[in-house]
Amino acid sequence: MTAVTVVFAAMGLVALVSAFLVVTSDQIIHAALWLVVTLGAVAGLYVLLAAELVAWVQVLIYMGSVVVLLLFALMLTRTPTGPGSATVTRNQPLATVVAGATTVALGAVMWAGFGGEVIDEDEVRVGTAARLGDAIFRTWVLPFEVLSVVLLAALVGAIVLTRRGER
Amino acid sequence: MSAVSVQAIVGAAPSPIEAPDVDYATISPLLIILGAAVLGVLVEAFVPRAYRFVTQIAVAVVGVVAAFVATVVVGAGLDTVDGEVTGRGGPTAMGSLSVDGPAVVTWAMLLFFGLLGVLLFAERRLDGGLSAFTSQASTPPGSADERHATRLRIEHSEVFPLAMFALGGMMFFASANDLLGMFVALEVLSLPLYLMCGLARRRRLLSQEAAMKYFLLGAFSSAFFLYGIAMVYGYAGSFGLAEISTAVSSQIGGQNLLLAGMALILVGLLFKVAAVPFHAWTPDVYQGAPTPVTAFMAAGTKAAAFVAMLRIFFVAFGGARWDWAPAVWAIAIITMLFGAIASIAQTDVKRMLAYSSIAHAGFLLVGMAGLTSGDGVTSVSAVLFYLVAYGAAAIGAFAVVTLVRDAGGETTHLGRWAGLGKESPVLAVAFTIFLLSFAGIPLTGGFISKWSVFAAAWDGGAWPLVVVGVVASALALFFYIRVVVLLFFAPPQGDGPTVAVPSPLTWSVVAITVAVTIVLGVLPGPLLDLVQQAGAFVR
Amino acid sequence: MTEYTPVLVLAAISGAFAVFSVLIAPLTGPKRYNRAKVDSYECGIEPTPQAAGGGRVPVKYFITAMLFIVFDVEIIFLYPFAVEFDLLGWFGIVEMLLFIATVFVAYVYVWRRGGLEWD
Repeated sequence: MTAVTVVFAAMGLVALVSAFLVVTSDQIIHAALWLVVTLGAVAGLYVLLAAELVAWVQVLIYMGSVVVLLLFALMLTRTPTGPGSATVTRNQPLATVVAGATTVALGAVMWAGFGGEVIDEDEVRVGTAARLGDAIFRTWVLPFEVLSVVLLAALVGAIVLTRRGER
Repeated sequence: MSAVSVQAIVGAAPSPIEAPDVDYATISPLLIILGAAVLGVLVEAFVPRAYRFVTQIAVAVVGVVAAFVATVVVGAGLDTVDGEVTGRGGPTAMGSLSVDGPAVVTWAMLLFFGLLGVLLFAERRLDGGLSAFTSQASTPPGSADERHATRLRIEHSEVFPLAMFALGGMMFFASANDLLGMFVALEVLSLPLYLMCGLARRRRLLSQEAAMKYFLLGAFSSAFFLYGIAMVYGYAGSFGLAEISTAVSSQIGGQNLLLAGMALILVGLLFKVAAVPFHAWTPDVYQGAPTPVTAFMAAGTKAAAFVAMLRIFFVAFGGARWDWAPAVWAIAIITMLFGAIASIAQTDVKRMLAYSSIAHAGFLLVGMAGLTSGDGVTSVSAVLFYLVAYGAAAIGAFAVVTLVRDAGGETTHLGRWAGLGKESPVLAVAFTIFLLSFAGIPLTGGFISKWSVFAAAWDGGAWPLVVVGVVASALALFFYIRVVVLLFFAPPQGDGPTVAVPSPLTWSVVAITVAVTIVLGVLPGPLLDLVQQAGAFVR
Repeated sequence: MTEYTPVLVLAAISGAFAVFSVLIAPLTGPKRYNRAKVDSYECGIEPTPQAAGGGRVPVKYFITAMLFIVFDVEIIFLYPFAVEFDLLGWFGIVEMLLFIATVFVAYVYVWRRGGLEWD
C-alpha cells in the first residue's frame, strides 16, 4: 500500500460520495455544486493515472466551463432553485435500478478486461502535454482541424437560437 | 505504446518531428465543403442583410458542385488494390480517412443529396416570399416580436452554412478510418441537424419539441457510441480500424471488452439510422422539423451512418462477425416488420414517411447481414445502390409535402390529401412514383434496390431475412396502394388540397428525383456497375 | 508521481492559509452587525429575491457562456502546442493557425451580428 494508492482511494471515495450527493441533493444548485467536487476528484484520479493533460482539461473545461454553462442553463429557465427544486419524479426507483445495473455491468466488463493490469506510476508518462501534443499535431491532424469546425458550428447555433435585433 | 518508448520521446533532446503526410488533393471534396461552410459564416458576418440569402445560396451551390467535380476526379484516379477482395484507393491523411471506392461513391451520393437539399432550403415562393425557416428563432412563437421580425423580413440564412457543416460531417463520417475521427464526424453532422430541426416557420412549438427530443436522444446515443469506442480501444489498444481488425483476428485480450464495445457502438449507429428499438425519435423529428431539413436529413444521415456502420463492422469487426451478425438479424427483422405495420396506422404524411424510413433501415440491415463480398452483388454495393434510390425518392417525397398547403402552411393530414390527383395530376403522379419506389414495385429504383439487398442476403445464407423482408414489403405495399387510391379516387374533403406554385427550385428537385427513381428502375446498369466497381472497403 | 510533491505541499499550504484566515477572523475581529453586513454580496446592487422578469435571466448571458466555453476549449489545445512547438516546426504553426482562424471566424460572426453588445 503506497501513498499513491491511499490518495487514489481517498479521491475515489470523494468522487463517489459527492456523486451520490449530486443525485440525492434537495436543491438543484447544490447538486450542480456537488458536481464540481465530483469532477475535481476525478481530475485528481487522472493525475494519479499519469493522464496529466486530461486532468487539466477536466479542471478547465468541466469544472470551469461545463459547470458554468450548467448554472447558466438553470438561470435561463424558470425552474425554481430553492429547497425541493431537485425533487425527482416517481421514476426514481426505476432509475436507481437501471443505474445500478449499468454500473455492475460496466464494472464487470472493466474488471474482466483490465483486472490484472499494473501501472507503474513512476515510469509511465503517457498523458503528458508533450506526448499528447505529438499525437494531436501528427496522427490526429485531420480530426483536430475538424474539431474547430464543431466549435464554430456550436457558436453559430448559439447565436441563431438567441440573437434578437435587426442585423 | 510501451513505457520505454514513451520515455524515449520525452527524454530525448529536441529533434524536429517530421511533418504529417496529408494528400490534400485526395481529400479535397471534404475540404471544399468545410471551406464553403466557413465562408458561409463569413458571409453572415460581412454581407448586408438584403443580399445575404442569395449570396449564401450561391456559396452553397458552388461549393457542392465544386466538391462533386473534385469527387469525380478523385474517384477516377483511385488505384486498384488487389487483396482478398478487390478494392480501390486507400487510407490518407495519416490514416484518418480511407478514400476508397465506397467512400468516393458515398461522397458523390451525399453531395447530390446536399445539392437537392440546398435547392429546397432556398425555396421562398411558397410562403409569400419567406423561406421555410423561422424569421427569428429567439422570438416566442405567436408573439408580437415574431410578427415584427417577419414583417422586417429577417431571415436565418445561417441554415446554409449549417447544412454545409452537416454535409461535411456526413462525408467525414462515411470515410473515417478510425473510431476517434468517426466520433468527431458524428458530432459535426449531428449538431447542425439538431439545430435546424427547431427552426420551422410554421408550427414552431412542434418544431422546437422535435429539436429538443432529437438533441437529448442524439446526445445519449453519442454517449453510447463513445463508450463503445473507449471499450474497443481498451481491447485493441488502438482507434484505427485496421489495427482493431488485427486484434480481433488474433483474439488478443478479453473478449468481454470487445463484445461490450461492439454492442455499444452498434446501439449508437442504429440510433442514427433509425432502427427499432432505437427509432422512437424518428416520427416526431421528421414531423416537427422544417420539411426541407427532414428531406436532407432522411437521405443524408441514413446514407452516412449506414456506410460508417458497414465500414466499422466489416473492416474492424469482420473477424467477430459471428458475434454481431445475430444481433443485426434480430434488429433487421423487428425493424422491417415494425416499420411496415406502424406506417399503416399513420394519418400524417410526414409521420408515414418517417415510419417508411424506419422500415427501409430494416431492409438495409438485411443487405448488411448478408455479409457477401467478392464479385457480383456484394453487401456493400447493394447497400450503396439502395441508399441512392431511397435517398432520391425520400427527398422527392418530402419536396412534394412542401407543396401541398393550406392557410396554416403545409397540410400534412393524410385525409386532406384526398383528391390531389384532380387538383394537381403532375404532383400526384410524382408522389405515386415515390411511393411505388418505397414499396419496391418494378420499373422504379426501389425494386432494383430491394432486389439487390435481398440477393446479397440470399447469397450470404440469410434467407430467413429475405422471407421476412418480402412479407414486410407486401404489408407496406398494401398501405402505399391505399394512399395512391386516396390521392386519385377519394372524394376531396371540403375544397380539397391546395397546391402552391413553387419556384423552379422545388420543381427541379421533384423533376430530378422522379427522373432518378425511374432511371434507376429502368436502366439500373450504370449505377450497379459503378457501385460494384467501387469494390470493398480498404483499410 | 514525485514531481507532484511540491504541488501537493503548495496546495496544502494554501488550503491551510484559507482555513486559518476563516477561523481566525471571528475569533480576533470585532463583531458589529448591521443590515448591509447580513445581505448577500451583490457588488453594490440592491439584491432582489429573484432576477428581473419573473426569475428568468436574459438569454444574452447564454452567448457569454458559449463564448467562454468555445475559447476555453481552444486554449486547451494551445497548451500541448506550446509545450511541443519547437519540435513541431512550421507545420505545427500552420495547423494551429488554421485551427485558431476557424474558431476566430466564429468570433467575427458573433461580433458582426451584435452578439457582444450589451444593449
